[in-house]
Amino acid sequence: MIIETHALTKKYGNKTACDQINLAVEAGQVYGFLGRNGAGKSTCIKMLTGLVFPTSGSGTVLGKPLGDVSARERMGYLPELFRYQDWMTGLDLLNFHAQLVKLKNKKDQIGRALKLVGLEGQEKYKVGSYSKGMQQRIGLACALLPNPQLIFLDEPTSALDPIGRKDVRDIIVALKKEGATVFLNSHLLSEVEAVCDSVTFIHKGTVVKSARMDELLMNKISLTIRVKGMTEDLLGTMHNQYQSLQILADGSLTATLKDYEEIPALAAKLISHGLTLYELTPHRETLETVFMQLVGEEGLSSQQS
Amino acid sequence: MLNYFPNTTVTHGMGNQFRPFAIQMVTKMGFQFSAMLIALLTIMLGSGAIASELESGLIQGILTRPIHRYQFILGKLGGLVLLACTYATLLFSSILVIGALFGLSTITSLTFSQILSGWLLYLLLPVAVLCVTIFGSVTLKAVPNGILMIFIYILGNVGGMVEMIGQYVNNNSVIGTGIFISLVSPFQTIYSTMERIMVPNSELAAGAMAGASLSGSGKPASIWMFLYIAIYMLGFVTLAIRKFSRKDIS
Repeated sequence: MIIETHALTKKYGNKTACDQINLAVEAGQVYGFLGRNGAGKSTCIKMLTGLVFPTSGSGTVLGKPLGDVSARERMGYLPELFRYQDWMTGLDLLNFHAQLVKLKNKKDQIGRALKLVGLEGQEKYKVGSYSKGMQQRIGLACALLPNPQLIFLDEPTSALDPIGRKDVRDIIVALKKEGATVFLNSHLLSEVEAVCDSVTFIHKGTVVKSARMDELLMNKISLTIRVKGMTEDLLGTMHNQYQSLQILADGSLTATLKDYEEIPALAAKLISHGLTLYELTPHRETLETVFMQLVGEEGLSSQQS
Repeated sequence: MLNYFPNTTVTHGMGNQFRPFAIQMVTKMGFQFSAMLIALLTIMLGSGAIASELESGLIQGILTRPIHRYQFILGKLGGLVLLACTYATLLFSSILVIGALFGLSTITSLTFSQILSGWLLYLLLPVAVLCVTIFGSVTLKAVPNGILMIFIYILGNVGGMVEMIGQYVNNNSVIGTGIFISLVSPFQTIYSTMERIMVPNSELAAGAMAGASLSGSGKPASIWMFLYIAIYMLGFVTLAIRKFSRKDIS
């Protein structure tokens, strides 16, 4: 595991920011870290990057204990509230960070990072004159500079336009192909859904769910059925099999399946009973619906009850 | 002031009599004003050195690099010391050059040893101020730290004066209070030692200026006081490192 934590807890006085966080992140994957504002995501990332000290619990990052300085040689971090020395030019800033990580082939690495984030030709301007999006890009370039094995991206696209967001998605995918691990905190669920292999949901400082993305989304399939000639008997049989079966106002049926493999069997059953089948459409569950169930109002009410 | 005591017979000999006294006062004023200026500039430089980066979040990008927190503090302190010392050297040499150009006997009669000792003590003042300010910068926000440091610096001036008053009235408890204040804020001790080296035998001028500038000094500081100042500086840097090494950067 490239990141492993055991009961990681952070308290600020009486307030618990993170409570007993257990994480296990495999190397080479894009790991999504999701939750509402104030859920404790950034605090957790700061504990992993050594900025914040845990109140209790332990963990390792890149095989070293939390806060170990040598682990940071192979680590990149883009903070949520990115702020850089605005009196420096983009190139000065990257040179400064290259010195901090004692980079050997500075010129090549800086050129590579600038190209990756799309700031080629802009590096001679002062960071203070950059737009917010460009500042986020230069921050990303700083994070990518040491060719990190592990990169923490805390809201990496918050200031970017749709093209910038796509660029960042492409960078994340490219990093994964190169074997790097990306720890991504983002509120843009479609973005997370598109790039993440695994995801952890955190709510009020506690992990509420950790799963592989495919398991999470393929676990439940919502199926729309439109048929002619449905009988009460068959409806009763189907209800026994699929308890979530509902009849909608337009006469169509919806059912929640556990597996895609159930669809052909269901189609065969409907046809064998002489029904005319017009539509059988599976809807894959989205990360947004899962998010809402786990940490949204629905999640809150179910947890409170 | 020197115009009131010209080196001519117009003042019926009074000018010749009081001119050396006036020259001492002018020289002391030059050093005193410049020392206060350098101390205040040092406080302005140091008070936000770390605090402002903590407030803005700028520090997060740096501390996630493979550097220890003590390296960050020492790097900041080193850079600020270099900057403050460069500025102090410029001010110090300006006083010497201006004094020499105007033919002030207090400056023209200085030996190399006096200049060297005076310069080193003049540099020690901003360095000592920085050591305390950097601790404040990891503990407080920039503005409160700046205000507190100015208070501590001025307290040192008052401490010297209290000690001097205690010697005039021969009251040990007043002297003790003055010494205690000097231990809390030893900056005036550094300055007055520098002044004694650069403008020797000028107790009368010092006494005349004390009331006007609300600052003064008692007896010359001993070597033990300077040992204390060294421990004082080292102590504050150690405290700054200790505090910063345990600080959550949130």
